[in-house]
Amino acid sequence: MKLHTISGLAAAIASLALGLPAHAAGESGPALKAGHEYMIATNYPNNLHVVDLASDKVYKTCVMPDAYGPGTTQIGPDRKTAYVLNNHYGDLYGIDLDSCQTVFHARLAQRPTEKAKALFSIALSPDGKEIYSVANPTELKLDHYVVKAPRLQVYATDAGLDAKPLRSFEVPRQISIMQAGDDGSLYMAGADIYKLDVQTGKYDVALASRNWQRPLYSPPDVLYAWNQQTYRRDFSLLYTAAKFKDGKQDPATADYVYGYFSIDLKTGKPTVQDFAPLTEIYFTGMRSPKDPNQMFGVLNRLAKYDIKEQKLLKAAKLDHSYYCIAFNKAGSKVYLGGTYNDLAVFDADSLEPLGKIELPGGDMAIATTQVFTR
Amino acid sequence: MMTRLRYYLGAGSLAMAVASLAQPALAAERTGAQILGETCVACHAKEGDEQFSRISHQRKTPEGWLMSIARMQVMHGVKISDDDRRTLVKYLADQQGLAPSETEGVRYAMERRLNTVEQFDDQFAQMCARCHSGARVALQRRPAKEWEHLVNFHLGQWPSLEYQAQSRDRDWLPIALGEMVPKLASQYALDNPAWADWQKAKPEAAALAGQWSFSGHLPARGDVRGVMSVESGEGDAFKVSLKGQYADGKPLEGSGSALLYNGYEWRANLKVDGVAMRQVFSALNGEMRGRMFETEHDERGLDFVAARAGTPRLLAVQPGYLKAGSEAELTLVGSELSGTPDFGPGVEVVKVLEQSPERLRVKVRAAANAAAGSRAVAVGALKGANFAVYRSVSEVKVVPAFSVARVGDNGGSTPKMQGRFDAEAWGQDAAGKAFRIGYLPARWSVEAFDERAAEDEDVKYAGRMQADGVFVPGDAGPNPARKMSTNNAGNLKVIAQLDDGGKPLKGEGQLIVTVQRWNNPPLP
Repeated sequence: MKLHTISGLAAAIASLALGLPAHAAGESGPALKAGHEYMIATNYPNNLHVVDLASDKVYKTCVMPDAYGPGTTQIGPDRKTAYVLNNHYGDLYGIDLDSCQTVFHARLAQRPTEKAKALFSIALSPDGKEIYSVANPTELKLDHYVVKAPRLQVYATDAGLDAKPLRSFEVPRQISIMQAGDDGSLYMAGADIYKLDVQTGKYDVALASRNWQRPLYSPPDVLYAWNQQTYRRDFSLLYTAAKFKDGKQDPATADYVYGYFSIDLKTGKPTVQDFAPLTEIYFTGMRSPKDPNQMFGVLNRLAKYDIKEQKLLKAAKLDHSYYCIAFNKAGSKVYLGGTYNDLAVFDADSLEPLGKIELPGGDMAIATTQVFTR
Repeated sequence: MMTRLRYYLGAGSLAMAVASLAQPALAAERTGAQILGETCVACHAKEGDEQFSRISHQRKTPEGWLMSIARMQVMHGVKISDDDRRTLVKYLADQQGLAPSETEGVRYAMERRLNTVEQFDDQFAQMCARCHSGARVALQRRPAKEWEHLVNFHLGQWPSLEYQAQSRDRDWLPIALGEMVPKLASQYALDNPAWADWQKAKPEAAALAGQWSFSGHLPARGDVRGVMSVESGEGDAFKVSLKGQYADGKPLEGSGSALLYNGYEWRANLKVDGVAMRQVFSALNGEMRGRMFETEHDERGLDFVAARAGTPRLLAVQPGYLKAGSEAELTLVGSELSGTPDFGPGVEVVKVLEQSPERLRVKVRAAANAAAGSRAVAVGALKGANFAVYRSVSEVKVVPAFSVARVGDNGGSTPKMQGRFDAEAWGQDAAGKAFRIGYLPARWSVEAFDERAAEDEDVKYAGRMQADGVFVPGDAGPNPARKMSTNNAGNLKVIAQLDDGGKPLKGEGQLIVTVQRWNNPPLP
């Protein structure tokens, strides 16, 4: 995967320059404080950092077991346990942020002759009792491989360090990020966004993506590797599409647009909304916690749009690419992560830079940061 | 797995493995059949008489077999000595190779012509040639079941494949299995009469021994000609020596060894003027054709054609053009050349300066009213080389029109990959039809390809165009002096300017300067 290659390379370079993390394995560091707002971020070689958002300083660093990649995180509803898809996309981990202890581990492959990888799929039930991931398995025969149908694997989060699936269900191919709604339904992004019953494995389309029927629109292009838990409680991802002038569908005269899909996790309400002309690529985008009509996007610039007007409000230059965007709860600060090993902080109104938080260790690469209040 | 691949087969060791294609196995203790029966059988079930699962149902090039065996080493932990691997590649390439006709049109991949713009249909290009060359696929023959295994291997090994652009917009696996497998099985079938015929017609390797007259062209350097001496050894191996000269009179000398696969696939390693070079030729009917290139810099190489003594051939006229109303010295290169050359009406041979079976150096004059256009040259009954008479240059093309150079060095493991350019002049005949004149000297420069390249100052950072048409890319790694510390990539116009009797002419090509090629297998 192109993204992975690029970021992996950057990681190799950065880790050469930056050396080992400051915190050695086995250190637990201070417990998190109730009511305080934190961000978690993962990076090479295999760190899980907790950043205090009041001081914008690294609060502690946990060293995770096995190997890094992709470092996709989810914060448990207890706001104490971070779950991470890691070990080259092959294992799920639960890390107690107070003690830095690994409290949960599951290998996605179910047999020694099977290889299974999850492409950014990791989600928790609203009560935090179950964790979900879609394994893409391949059976390794003596002289050939057989690609098997993807499985949604459901684990109990209290199953310990050698967790086995409680249930598993065959699901469509090409599933990436996912999150559970308040009613327990699991929303999974794939060719379309599916809504799945985690008890029966039955699913249907909650929001048509590849198969949307929007007159004069091309099918959307969607690649969203960042499973962000937002203060708005929406499960959202960006798309781009061509908007043709007429039925001839000439790509040369089409307008190209940016938009977002969103599922309101409280109500299950789906939204498909264009928010901007496509002028540059954003790896991630997020609506402001304080103004749902403002969309922020980032890759080579940080940009802010008025969704209704589909208009660029402001843009900020960056000193390098950032892949993953986040807000503090107040919506006053924007945090840019991913790529290298620094978090850039911007004022959400003025888009003026407020500073940088250097993370011990190497690249965050394609990792997802999460912000939460303990 | 990718980490292991990089670890075990870094650029250096893979290059060594490729270079070994030109070496016979020394003191081989096991035959290919024995290696299959003793080593490969650990995973590949024996299917009757010397048949093994998977292996016996595929045919491919020496490079293709080398890549398969290397993959078994890297990904599946096969322990095999370099000598045994050489033996096995030779055995499989001989027993299960491709007929010459099966490699037609896709030899550029073996010849490392990495600026080739491939021509495959959209579906093939998107489903197969999105990550690697289409030629890598087209240089294999398999039945449907084996193509199906290949699809499963790809998705199993690279699970992110179906999430990438031009995959995530479709049901990739059902299309790969349901549409591509039948298509590949029909287009590149294991069973092909051409292969059956070739196995019967395959000549003895020893027939290649002898003197070979050669002609070549090295971009940004010029024409070259000479004689390659080939001495037959054991096991289809050869000793090779080259003695020739460039058009400017500078000598070219080298020697090394070669190995012939499957009756016609010639692979040689030579030291030419102190530089390690490889030859990838097809040797058929007394002719060798292909490319000779530097082992460490495969972008530096020459088109090569040779004819064996005893095989009358006219290979080339150097240079292959003459301006009407002017006089020049030309060299005809070939084999068993005798008699005075005939350049057609209006072009007169003034004097024969030198004559040998391999070379005919003449002074010729084109009349002012000689017809402009491309014409066949004859030496006695021999034809095969064209020659252009022109009155004026109507167009200049940059060759290659589209190319890629890569940043490198600067403490990294990968050298810079240069761009090398020729200015190809074209004329118009009386009927207004365009004809190729040949490569003319030009003044070289680069410009920003578009507004974005201008804004990013690509000309400043991406590298430097030399006076001889060689573009040397910038250093590898993030560049703190550039916007967002980006690397020295760039999108450039390559400009060749020349004067044709006071008339300024300009040709343009596009050069992408990009990052290193980290994964650089024998077949791109």
